[in-house]
Amino acid sequence: MIIEAQGLRKTFTARRGRGKTEEVEAVRGIDLSVGEGEIFAALGPNGAGKTTTVRMLATFTLPTAGTARVAGHDVVTEAAKVRERIGYVSQAGGVDDNAPGLESLVLAARLAGASRRDALARAGELLETFSLTEVANRPARTLSGGQKRRFALAIGLVNRPPLVFLDEPTTGLDPQNRANLWEEIRALRDAGTSVLLTTHYLDEADALCDRLVIIDHGLIVAEGTPGGLKKEIAGDVVTLRTGDPAAARELLAAQPYIAETRLEGEVLRAYLDDGEHSLPALLRALEAGGVSIDSISLDRATLDDVFLKHTGRSLRDAA
Amino acid sequence: MLRHTMLFLGYELGNLRRNPAWPLLGIMQPILYLLLFAPLLTKLTPGGTLSEALIVFTPAALVMIALFGSMFTGFGMINETRNGVLERLAVSQAWRPSIVLGRVAKDMIMLVLQSLLILGVASLMGLRISLAAMGLMLLLMAVTGLFAANLSYGLALSIRDENGMSQIVQFFLLPLMLLSGLMLPISLGPDWMQTAAKFNPLYYAVEAGRALFAGDFSSGTIPTAFALFLVLGVLTLTWSVRSLRKLAG
Repeated sequence: MIIEAQGLRKTFTARRGRGKTEEVEAVRGIDLSVGEGEIFAALGPNGAGKTTTVRMLATFTLPTAGTARVAGHDVVTEAAKVRERIGYVSQAGGVDDNAPGLESLVLAARLAGASRRDALARAGELLETFSLTEVANRPARTLSGGQKRRFALAIGLVNRPPLVFLDEPTTGLDPQNRANLWEEIRALRDAGTSVLLTTHYLDEADALCDRLVIIDHGLIVAEGTPGGLKKEIAGDVVTLRTGDPAAARELLAAQPYIAETRLEGEVLRAYLDDGEHSLPALLRALEAGGVSIDSISLDRATLDDVFLKHTGRSLRDAA
Repeated sequence: MLRHTMLFLGYELGNLRRNPAWPLLGIMQPILYLLLFAPLLTKLTPGGTLSEALIVFTPAALVMIALFGSMFTGFGMINETRNGVLERLAVSQAWRPSIVLGRVAKDMIMLVLQSLLILGVASLMGLRISLAAMGLMLLLMAVTGLFAANLSYGLALSIRDENGMSQIVQFFLLPLMLLSGLMLPISLGPDWMQTAAKFNPLYYAVEAGRALFAGDFSSGTIPTAFALFLVLGVLTLTWSVRSLRKLAG
């Protein structure tokens, strides 16, 4: 296990003016274990405690309680050893706007102990890997969002860490750059690097990670592989808008092929396996029950449905 | 430790070399004071000459760059608290104090270079001082910069807001300047002002500078100023490094 955390908690004391303070429980007890060579995702809405968790694991923030070992060392008592073995790419990126990206890269390599020559060689390699050679000497502020993000990633990898933390790596990127970054993250795993990333994008967690945890209000609400988590709920979901959702729910819940129903405001979701074959039966049942349908759709269940099952709300609404 | 400080210093000097315009603009204000204010002091000196006025006023012009330059250097760091640079450095292998120290060393070097330019202008105008006085004055500027830059980084890291920081720096700047005898020697003022000035570190820098320029090397103000700024420099450095730790919450 490259990350093992038990009972991690973080309580911030926020100032609320005039000497008043308020305790904010950002993380309320998180257990994590990430295996070597895994892409592991922490999925959750903004403010769920993902960033605080990563910051504690990366030795930036001191935990209020709990312990964590990262790359074989304790994050509190052996922080220096942990820092030698990790790469950390924060949400903000941490690329100095005023200097050429190459300078940031060389500085980072030299801080990690490389000689000037080795630092230049390593920087050259990384520029090549991330197709940044041509913009290496341009001030970082003139780069596009995608280029800057790749520089941030390159800087995080400068010491060849066995583990990298990527906090919201694709936030703010366009779809093309996002897809490219996914490829680069997969390439990291293929080269043996473990990756812990946070995201609030369902498709990202689904497409990219080997295992994930869903975090909400500072706690882990579900853990597993994307496929395994989706299997816990039925494979398909019918989303319905009707004149009388409560009645429709009662009706559908009585059908043998419906595994579960959820009512969220006006929207009724019915989970079922083999939706294509059961849909005609479902439509007949609704008609027989006298329920008028405003709209209906059939989709594969996603991680959002997993999130909905565990938190009672949709990730799209949770942020 | 030293290696990391030197690495940060080298990086910062690289940035400075790519954008040398700002520090040059920074010395325009003291140069204008030398050109347009120092001559006003001529009548106040015993001999009534400009070179005597320059002996009184040039140290003040130098302290002015420390005030208006180094005190504002922390503004750049406020942005680094948000763009993730400090966050990244905090979990890198860098020795924490070197993150601040490397930047402070850059500010000290910049201040000494700016001082040299101002001394050049002053000597063109007729200032004549010994090399020893000049050397010691540059050293004095370096330790003044050590204090002012550390203070500025400490403020930046604790306030972390450009508006708040500019209000606070402006709030302290004017009284610090007036009570250091920068424009006119404080000895011209009433007793209470002379007493109040003794609580202003910059007063000692200006007084020590004037003693050096007057060739009065035995003046007690010189060791006092050096000792004071070294101690304050260490205290403010400790403060700014501790503030760096607080970024993590």
